[in-house]
Amino acid sequence: MTKRLKATERRATILAVAKILFADKGYHGVSVDQIASRLGVSPAILYQHFVSKEALFEAVLTDIAGKRESYVEAVVQEPVDFASVLVRMARIYVNSVARDPDYLIMEMHSVLEGSTVAKQFFENRWKSFSDYIEFNLAELGKDGKVNAVNPKAASLMFQGMLREALYAKCIYKSEQYRDFDLENLVHHLIVLFLNAIGYREKPDRQRKLA
Amino acid sequence: MAEFDAELDARGLNCPLPILRAKKAINALNAGQILKIIATDPGAVKDFEAFCKQTGNDLLSSEETGGEFVFSIKKG
Repeated sequence: MTKRLKATERRATILAVAKILFADKGYHGVSVDQIASRLGVSPAILYQHFVSKEALFEAVLTDIAGKRESYVEAVVQEPVDFASVLVRMARIYVNSVARDPDYLIMEMHSVLEGSTVAKQFFENRWKSFSDYIEFNLAELGKDGKVNAVNPKAASLMFQGMLREALYAKCIYKSEQYRDFDLENLVHHLIVLFLNAIGYREKPDRQRKLA
Repeated sequence: MAEFDAELDARGLNCPLPILRAKKAINALNAGQILKIIATDPGAVKDFEAFCKQTGNDLLSSEETGGEFVFSIKKG
């Protein structure tokens, strides 16, 4: 790192390197000295940007959380029945995470670290799905378009499925699922999920044609 | 905030739910009518800009007050 780097560039470089190291070894497995060494600067330079290792870790999480996926595409397209939007949301999320699997590892670490910011990071990243599923299942349940399921439990089930598929394909690269590409695996899981909740809403387009 | 024809409270919800609910609320309006949306997800600012650009609706205003985001959208 040269001294000519602007403060914003230097900060971004620190965050990028710290993310790799935190993802690899977790918060407690990395020291400020190691991060500084990898950057080729003194620890004092790091402390000019972040007052502590904890502040740096929080900044890494915030930085990743700030790059949260936009699901506008999933909503703008038709049809907008519950299942169709959920499939498009899952596709956007899965593709995003597959491009940057370090995020998943940071998420695993964030659960173990137990700090408030780590907890917020973990919850916020999945809140798009939990809000979408819980709100819609409550509405669909009133109209008899799903079985009498607990929306929160169903939402947790969906998140668990999706997360496990991502772990299997992006982190463990499990041989057991080598016959599935990630998108195909997620598609199968969503079908299972919709069956499990007894989903019987017709897609909007089909309803118009019916 | 200009006058509005319908209001949507999307506080506490993460995108895309506020966008989806806004889309359905706009569908129920006539062209030129205005929907007011209140949200708390900071991501809603960029998302509503993108939504309006892609759907031909007009984002009349986007304001933040005390951690709440208020949008005014005119149906195109």
